[in-house]
Amino acid sequence: MALLETRNLSKSFGGLQAINDVSLKVEPNTVHGLIGPNGSGKSTFFNLLTGVYQPDAGSYIEFDNVEVTGKPAHYIAEQGLSRTFQLLRLYGELSVLDNVLVGFHPHTKYSSFAPFFNGAEVRRQDQIVKDEMFELLEFIGLAEHAEIPAAELSGGQRRLLALGRAIAMRPKMLLLDEPGAGLSPVNVDSLMDTIMTLKERYELTIVVVEHILKVVMSTCETISVLDHGQKISEGTPEFVKNDPAVIEAYLGREMADEDIRAAMDA
Amino acid sequence: MGILSSIADFIDGLAKRHRLLPWLLAYLFLLPLPFILATVFNEYLIDLANRICLFILLAVGLNIVKGFCGQVTVGHIGLYAIGAVTSAVLTLEPGGFGGALGFGWPIWAAIPTAVLVTAFAGLIVGLPSVRLEGAYLALATLGLGESVRIFIAVTPALGSSTGLMMIPAPSIGSFVFDSFTSYYYLVMTAAIVGIYFSFSILRSATGRAFQAIREDTIAASVNGINVVKYKLLAFVLSAIYAGLAGALFAHMPPGYLHHNNFTVIEMVTLLLMVVLGGIGNVWGGVIGAIVVAIAYDQTKDLVFYFMDRPVVVQPLVFGLSMVLLVMFMPRGIGGWIEDFQRNRRFIRRSEERLGGTARNS
Repeated sequence: MALLETRNLSKSFGGLQAINDVSLKVEPNTVHGLIGPNGSGKSTFFNLLTGVYQPDAGSYIEFDNVEVTGKPAHYIAEQGLSRTFQLLRLYGELSVLDNVLVGFHPHTKYSSFAPFFNGAEVRRQDQIVKDEMFELLEFIGLAEHAEIPAAELSGGQRRLLALGRAIAMRPKMLLLDEPGAGLSPVNVDSLMDTIMTLKERYELTIVVVEHILKVVMSTCETISVLDHGQKISEGTPEFVKNDPAVIEAYLGREMADEDIRAAMDA
Repeated sequence: MGILSSIADFIDGLAKRHRLLPWLLAYLFLLPLPFILATVFNEYLIDLANRICLFILLAVGLNIVKGFCGQVTVGHIGLYAIGAVTSAVLTLEPGGFGGALGFGWPIWAAIPTAVLVTAFAGLIVGLPSVRLEGAYLALATLGLGESVRIFIAVTPALGSSTGLMMIPAPSIGSFVFDSFTSYYYLVMTAAIVGIYFSFSILRSATGRAFQAIREDTIAASVNGINVVKYKLLAFVLSAIYAGLAGALFAHMPPGYLHHNNFTVIEMVTLLLMVVLGGIGNVWGGVIGAIVVAIAYDQTKDLVFYFMDRPVVVQPLVFGLSMVLLVMFMPRGIGGWIEDFQRNRRFIRRSEERLGGTARNS
């Protein structure tokens, strides 16, 4: 039983067909890779899944046995689908702790008017949640920066915080949009270790968009390849790596065989 | 810095015993203010203090929607007008002066009703925020706010050009709040409670949702925040503040309302308070309200003559200070407060750390 399923998912912006008829299944407790050249529609695909964009008519998205096609983003988040952004989109002026607390928002137990009528309950609940979120910060190694504004973190710490905020809502599935962008190879490795630990700890299903092929090849059980908004290949890393359609999409027809191998292994 | 730190330490100490203690202390400090003002200066300053309290309510309310939630609204003064006129009309005797409407309600029923009516109006002012952002939203809300004033100005039933007169003063039993001093206790209490609730909102999940929307609307929606709901909620909450301030303004001695109290100039004054205070900072907004209200009061009659023609100074002063503030002090007074608090936190953490190593060695 797939946790996430899309059927005939399409999205066009004016004349540009950004996503064209993509059908895809993600099995629970797996790491599913999504790769493709720049502009192939990976980020648009994530935006459609999470309700940031509305898909075109005829599309169908199902998450955890609930149809979420065209539903608002907050509703989809409440179903347990969380994500990070390529450009992070942290709440820069809020403290690190407040950032993860916002991530926890779907589980808030009191009503939005409660601060007026039931301050004691609000404080009690918030203390419990804060302790829990502090534990999460300790786990990702940001606890000692809990009180500083997110904008003042270093690049690597900001990536960790984005991850922490996405996990704070205890999602069933996590969509990672280029988690390693802008990091040095060593930092990418340690970030991937963190992600895999988090996956075990919180029993997550992960879909990851990544340009660094080495990362995708080593961590994903299944890989889907997008090119010009269409799914051109899908399978195990080994299968995708040798699929002529993928090689052509990435490198064009003219590249010699050895060069392809070298590029893929780099 | 030394004195400020000691005061802050003292307040922190009080808050540790009970979180309401600092508020109680502030309240006790403000109790004798009218007597001090009347003895040292004059009676008129109590009236100014009362109006400052109303401006604090307005500024703190505006700060919820503009500061916390990041929605640029310029229609707040219209909500203030709705609260004032609703409460006035509900309490006036039927068949009153100059064709003004009157329902003869008791005041303590009229004020909550006026607040509810204003909250609903706030919802309507907030509706454009679902689709519009930034300057466009400012224009839409400006239009709504100004149309309220014009509606009052042309409707005889709501006072039109003569204004509403003889609006009754509130009373508890036989005690009537009809003097500057007695009214001071009413508006001062309202201002303190208003500030307190504004902090309650800020520190709850509701306040965090507002701030998340301000910082990044898309990220907020993906984090499970219903952006439309929370934007409208921010408008409604700030309208509750404006409605209460308006209703209290209507019944304040001498019980007279005129649409000139709700002009765009008043709105700019209110914005100046929030900008000087530092957008999003509650205490900054309060200090901004005090400073600007006093400056407003001191400059309103200033006129100088240029080539034998009178030039009113106030709009010049206020316009110029707004430009200078945005250029040189974009974080306002709230920026100083935040820096001060951060330094204190940093020093405290360092001390804890050093204390720890000292014990270990």
